[in-house]
Amino acid sequence: MRTNIANILLITGLSILLAGAIYFGYEIHKLAKQQQEIKQDYSLTNSVSFGLFSVDEWRDRISEVLDDQINGYSITPDQKQQMLASVEKALHGVIAKTIASIDKPQKSIGGKLKKMAFHALVDSASIQEQVKPFAKTIVQKVTSPSSQARLKNIASSKINQLENQTYDNTSEAKEKIAKYAYRKYNVNDEAAFDKTIHSRLAVIWDQTIRYAIYMLACVLAALALWWLMRKQVQLQTPLFVMSLLFAGVLLVVGLTAPVIEVDARIRSVNFLLLGEKVTFQNQVLFFQSKSIWGIITTLLNQQKPDAIAVGILVLLFIVILPFIRLVAKGLHMFTEKNRVVNYIAFEAGKWDMADVMIVGMLMTFIGLNGILKSQLANLNIHNDVLTTSTVNYTSLQPGFFIFAGYVIFEAALSYILKRISPEKAVKPRK
Amino acid sequence: MTKGTSYIPKLVLTLGLALLLAVEGFFAWQLHTLSGRQEQIKSDYSDVNNITLGLLSVDQWKDKVAGIVNHQVKHFKLSPKEKKELQVEVEQVIYALIAKAEALVNKPQKSLGDKIKKLAVKTFVNTDKIKAQVPGFAKSILAKVDNPKQKAQLSNLAMTKFNEARHSGSLDSTRNANEALMDKMFRKYGVSSTDELNRKLGSLLSSIRTEMFHYCFGMLGCILAVLALWWFLRKRTDLHGVLFILSLLFAFVLLAVGLTASMIEVDCRIKSLDFVLLGEHAVFKDQVLFYESKSILGVVKVLFSQSGADSIAVGALILCFSILFPVTKLLSTGIHLLSKRKVAENRFIKFFAFQSGKWSMADVIVIAILMTYIGLNGLLDVQLASLNIKSDELTLITTNNTALQPGYIIFISFVLYGLILSTILKAITPYDAH
Repeated sequence: MRTNIANILLITGLSILLAGAIYFGYEIHKLAKQQQEIKQDYSLTNSVSFGLFSVDEWRDRISEVLDDQINGYSITPDQKQQMLASVEKALHGVIAKTIASIDKPQKSIGGKLKKMAFHALVDSASIQEQVKPFAKTIVQKVTSPSSQARLKNIASSKINQLENQTYDNTSEAKEKIAKYAYRKYNVNDEAAFDKTIHSRLAVIWDQTIRYAIYMLACVLAALALWWLMRKQVQLQTPLFVMSLLFAGVLLVVGLTAPVIEVDARIRSVNFLLLGEKVTFQNQVLFFQSKSIWGIITTLLNQQKPDAIAVGILVLLFIVILPFIRLVAKGLHMFTEKNRVVNYIAFEAGKWDMADVMIVGMLMTFIGLNGILKSQLANLNIHNDVLTTSTVNYTSLQPGFFIFAGYVIFEAALSYILKRISPEKAVKPRK
Repeated sequence: MTKGTSYIPKLVLTLGLALLLAVEGFFAWQLHTLSGRQEQIKSDYSDVNNITLGLLSVDQWKDKVAGIVNHQVKHFKLSPKEKKELQVEVEQVIYALIAKAEALVNKPQKSLGDKIKKLAVKTFVNTDKIKAQVPGFAKSILAKVDNPKQKAQLSNLAMTKFNEARHSGSLDSTRNANEALMDKMFRKYGVSSTDELNRKLGSLLSSIRTEMFHYCFGMLGCILAVLALWWFLRKRTDLHGVLFILSLLFAFVLLAVGLTASMIEVDCRIKSLDFVLLGEHAVFKDQVLFYESKSILGVVKVLFSQSGADSIAVGALILCFSILFPVTKLLSTGIHLLSKRKVAENRFIKFFAFQSGKWSMADVIVIAILMTYIGLNGLLDVQLASLNIKSDELTLITTNNTALQPGYIIFISFVLYGLILSTILKAITPYDAH
C-alpha cells in the first residue's frame, strides 16, 4: 500500500518535471529555429553578392564620388594662372603661324600687294603684345561662375550616360530581397532592419540560455531524486523509466536544434578614391547553420549515392540506434530474459555513436574555425589606400550542448542500469 | 579431430584467401593510382580555369577594353542638350573676344599710323555683322570636335596607349607566365584551345571516376566475400583462427587505401560574373577561386600547418583516430586471439580490440559535417529561388562542386569492417571480452 502511494507520488512529481523539460525543450527548439531563420534572412540581405560583388553597387558608390567631385569643383587661382599661360602660348603659336604663311614668298601680284599692305598696317610685335589681354578675356570668360556651371552640367550628364551603360542584375534582385525582408520584419529601411534583427537576436539568445538552464535543471532534479531514492529498491523501476523519457527529450531537442553556426563576414572595406572614402560594410561571405537532423537530411537529399550512404549511416548510428537503445533499456526493466533486448541494451553501445558525434562535431568546429580564422586573417589589409577587416562569428550552438547533455545523461543511465541489475548486465559466458 | 583432417582445409582456406587478398591488393593499387591521377587532372583543370587566367587576366580584358574604347571614343556623341550648352559656351567666349577687340580698337590712338588703322578697321569691319556670324562659327567648331575621323584617331591613340601599358614590365611577365602555363597544358593533353582542353579534361575525369568506382566496388566485394566466408564457416571453429588473422590483412589493405586516397575535394568558384561595363557586355563563367583535394593525411597536414594550437590539437586527434587507433586496434585483436590469457585479458589490449573501433567514426563524421557545411552550400540558392530570383545572373560564390571521393567510402568500409571483426572476435574468443 505504502509503495503504491510512494510510486504514484514519485511518478506525478517526475511527470511534472518531465512536462517542464518537454516544454522548455520545445521552446528551445522553436527559438533555435527562429534564430536560424533570422540569421539566414540577415545573411541573405547582406550577402557579398549584393555588395562587394555587385557592379551596380560599385557604380553607385563611384558615381557618388564623381558627382561630389564635379559639384565641389572650382578653379583655383593657381589653375587659372596655368590656364592663362597655356592659352597665351596657343595664341602666340597661331599668330606666328599666320604671319609665317603671309610672309611666304608670293608670286602673284595680288599676293605681293596683300603682303605689303599687311606689313604696312600690321606690326606683328604689337599683335603679339595684345595676346595677353585676349588670353585673359578667354580665361575669365571660361572660369566665370555661369560658364563653370554650364561645363559642370555637361560633365555630369556625360557621366550619367556612362553610368547608364554600366550595370549588372543585382539591383533588381536586391530590391526584391529588401522588399521581402522589410515586409517580414515590418521595417522601412536598412538601419531599422539591422536594429530589429539585432534586438530580436539578443532577446532570443537570452531566452534560449534561460530555457536551456531550466531544462537541464529539470534533468538534474530527476537525477537528484534518484540519488535520494537510491535505497528504495521498489521505486527504481518507475524512476528509471522516467529518466529514460528525460533522455529521450534531450535527444530529440539535441538532434533538432542547430549545432554549429559558420558565419564569415567582411566587416568593412574602406578605400580612398579621388580623396573620398568609399565603404562597403557588413558583407556576409558565408553563412551556414545546421542541426544534426539538418546535416542528415542534407546528406540524404543529395544526388550522389556516396553522400546518401553516409547520410544513412549517420542516421542509423546517431538517431535510430540511440532511440532503440533507450526503448530497449526500458523494456529490459520489465522483461526478464530476452536476448535481443539484452544485446541492444548492453552490447550495442559499440555501435551507438552519439558520443563519437559529440567529439566529431567539436573537432569539426575547432578545425573549421581555425582554418577560417587564418584564411580571413589573410584578407585583413591595412595600408594608406585600402583598409579591410574581417570577422569570424563561427560558434557552437545550443543544440551541441544539449546533445552533449544527452550523451552524459545516457552514460549515467547505463551506469545506473548496470548497478541496479548486475545479474543481467553481464551476459553469462558459455 | 585428427591433425591430418584439419590440415588440408586450413591450407585451402589460406590459399583461397591469399588469392582474394592479392585481388584486393590489386584493386587497392589501381584505386590509389587513379585517385592520384584524378587529383592531378583536377588540379590542372582548376589551374586552367583559375580566376587569375580569367577575370584577373589582362588578356581577357583586352577585347573588352577595345570594345569600351570603341563605344566611348569612336561613338562619342553629345546629346542635343549638351551640344546646345557647349554651343552657348563657345559663343560666349567668341563674343567676349570680339568685345575685347572692339575695345582695343576704340582706344584713343596717338600716332598717325594708329589713327589710320583705326579708321580703316572702322570702315571695313562691321562688328555687328561679325557678331551675327558667331553662332555659325561655334557650330563649325563643335562639328570639328564631333568629326568621326578625329574620333577614330583618338580611339587608335587610346588603344596604342593601352597596348603599351600591356607590354610594360610586370604585366608582361605575368602574361608570359600564363602563356607558358597554357602552352604546357595544351602540350600535355595534346589539344590546341582552352575549350578543347576543358572538354578533354571533363571526359578524362568522368572515365576515371567510373573506373574508380568499379575498383572501389571490387574492393568492397572482396570484403563482403570474406564476411560471407565467416557465415559459411561459422560452425568450423577449428578454422576461425586462420580466417581471423587473414581477415585482419584485408582490413590493413582497406586502411592503407582509406588513408592515402583522396577523401574530399573542395572546389570554390564564382559561378558567373555577368555585367555591362561602359556599354561593353562582359561575361566570365566558372572562375575557380580555390581547389583542394585531400586525403585524411592531407587534412591532418593542413591542420598542422595552422598557427593556432586548437587546429593542431584537432589535427592530432584526427591522426589518432585515423592511424593510431585503427592500427593498434587491428594489432590488439590479433594479439588477443593469439596470446595467452594473461596478455589477452590485458585492459589495454581489450579496450583497443573491442571498444576503440567506433572512435574512428569520428573522422568520418568530421568529413561528413564539413561536406554539408562547405560542400552543399545551397542555402543562398534556395533562398533566392524562393524569392523568384535567377541566381545564374548574380555573382555568387559556390562550392557546389565539392564532392566526396572513393577514399572516404573505403575508410568508412574499413571502420565498419573493423567493428564487425571485433564483434566476431568477441564471439570466437576463448577469453573474457568484457
